[in-house]
Amino acid sequence: MMSEKLYKIIAKVMDISILEITDESSPETIPNWDSFNSYVLLDELEAEFKTEFTIDEVTETKNVSDIKKHLKTHGIILDD
Amino acid sequence: MSFEEKLSYYLTKSKSLSNGFEKDIRVSFLSSFTTNGIEECFKVKCSERKINCTTYLGGYNQYNQEILNTKSQLYQFNPDITFLILDTRSILGDLWYFSHLLDENQRKDFISQKFEELKNLIEIFVKNSKSKLVISNFTIPSKSSYGISETKSKFGLQVMINKLNENLQNFISTLDSVFLFDMNGFITRYGENNIFNPKQFFFGDIKIALDFIPYLSNELMGYVIATLGLSKRCIVLDLDNTLWGGIIGEDGFDGIKLGIGPPGNAFVEFQKCLLGLFHRGILLAINSKNNFDDAIEVIEKHPDMILKKEHFTSVKINWNDKVSNIKEISEEMNFGLDNFVFIDDDPINREFMKSSLPQVLTVDLPKDPSKYTQILEEMIEFNVLEITDEDKKRGLMYSQQKERKNFEKSSSNLQDFLKDMELKVTIKKADKFTIPRISQLILKTNQFNLTTKRYQLEEIQKFSEDNNMIVECVQIEDKFGDNGITGAFIVQKSNSNEWILDTFLLSCRVMGREIEKSILSYIIEIAKKNNVKKLKAEFITTKKNKPIENFLPDCGFKKDGNFWEISLNESFAKPDFIKIGKT
Repeated sequence: MMSEKLYKIIAKVMDISILEITDESSPETIPNWDSFNSYVLLDELEAEFKTEFTIDEVTETKNVSDIKKHLKTHGIILDD
Repeated sequence: MSFEEKLSYYLTKSKSLSNGFEKDIRVSFLSSFTTNGIEECFKVKCSERKINCTTYLGGYNQYNQEILNTKSQLYQFNPDITFLILDTRSILGDLWYFSHLLDENQRKDFISQKFEELKNLIEIFVKNSKSKLVISNFTIPSKSSYGISETKSKFGLQVMINKLNENLQNFISTLDSVFLFDMNGFITRYGENNIFNPKQFFFGDIKIALDFIPYLSNELMGYVIATLGLSKRCIVLDLDNTLWGGIIGEDGFDGIKLGIGPPGNAFVEFQKCLLGLFHRGILLAINSKNNFDDAIEVIEKHPDMILKKEHFTSVKINWNDKVSNIKEISEEMNFGLDNFVFIDDDPINREFMKSSLPQVLTVDLPKDPSKYTQILEEMIEFNVLEITDEDKKRGLMYSQQKERKNFEKSSSNLQDFLKDMELKVTIKKADKFTIPRISQLILKTNQFNLTTKRYQLEEIQKFSEDNNMIVECVQIEDKFGDNGITGAFIVQKSNSNEWILDTFLLSCRVMGREIEKSILSYIIEIAKKNNVKKLKAEFITTKKNKPIENFLPDCGFKKDGNFWEISLNESFAKPDFIKIGKT
């Protein structure tokens, strides 16, 4: 359920279908994923999962799989 | 505090907006930092108010180039309003941290230099664009390496920015089309630590956190509302649990909550806030389901009522439904329903109003009366670009209006009534005192308005300096008092033989007294003195000016193509009971 929540947020911010999202999705594969949308995504994730990422975590994030990794570090269990 | 959705809501919503509303606005944004998202917020907020909004966002931190280059995209976009949003960090540069490396005089020089740069930008913009310019003032820094000693230093950080703000304010007050937005006030209200998100700043040079972009947009929308003349003019209030706590019919005169100490003081505060709006020209009315005698006793006799009977232009205390009541109030006052705000604590009444009369702005009052005042204070719907003398006197004028109505009822016929009114019409030329009021009338008058051409203040200013145009306004007095400036007209001297009546309007407050004929006769006399042969006029039909569709033929104008015209060889019958003069 938590993965679905993550995918829904990404889909909303990037204005794409959930089905298009994979672990490898990144600014290279999703045209709407520009720098501004990455700030919006970050803001949405922090609000929805009630957590705050560090500046290092954000810098390291290159794709969806990295987001999942950081969420796990913050104790948010994703199912998949 | 008023509630805004997250920015992502606006980003998504803006993709599916309908267009094709009657009103249009073109808005551009220039900023010293990242303000992406503001366009989408504006589009959504305009659409909610039935305005088509086209936006342009200047390149990141490109505001200097956009303004200095007269061929820039900014000027090509041809905006109606331009927002220039600057921040203290960018203007101070390294001085944000190191202001004390400069001595007092160097700090003073720095501020006067920054002011000169901004002044120059503003002057160039005004010269090259017809757009209104709204520039934000600078946020006063709240932190310094000097800590608590900062306020002891001469011409320290806060004083520097205060000085810059003061210079800007003084300079802008001399310009008609430039306005200062109180960004410092905005940031103080919501809190610098909330608005500044360091991570967003380091990643994207975002100085107003994404979640506050909708709040900022909301404040700035006040300028759109004022520019398009959509400001609300009257607040219609419920009584029980709105102006006082409890229910008069059940709790009685001594049982309602109103006065010193909670919760009664929350209602006193709310009433004071309403009275403040009344004194700047917002009319108040009552729409309450109650026994008239019970409720009016509170208004007339309760020692803690701040609002007195004379502050209410219309009082409906009865058992009729609230929608019929507000319709009657609208007819009595002669303003369309879209000028009204409805405030009622009961969600059922509010839903009924929203679904029956969506053009009335129904406020979602919170359950807790301690929050009423804040909601009212944060409403942007009362904004006008300039408060005129007419605004300040409006409440008084409307209570005189009630006396006029009673007098009209007591008169046996209209002719006698008009004769006894001792009407006096004074024509005034457009000057710096009258132009703000003329502009207000041109933006707001719907019913008695032949052409409904909406000119902005700067355009009216230009017309008034044009020798080929006459821009004048009309003050109307009668035995009950001064109605203020309630009419205006613009005549185009197209050539030596014919003049065109470009604009001719009268506030609905003074309609139906043949004042319009009196003004027209004045224009005709001036035209005759200038040997003009005919006066042409146009009637442009709108949804609202139907009541005067026969005005021109009734005055003897004949249809000729799109225009109506009257030959000035014939004499024009003017109402003899109206005194007319010129200042």
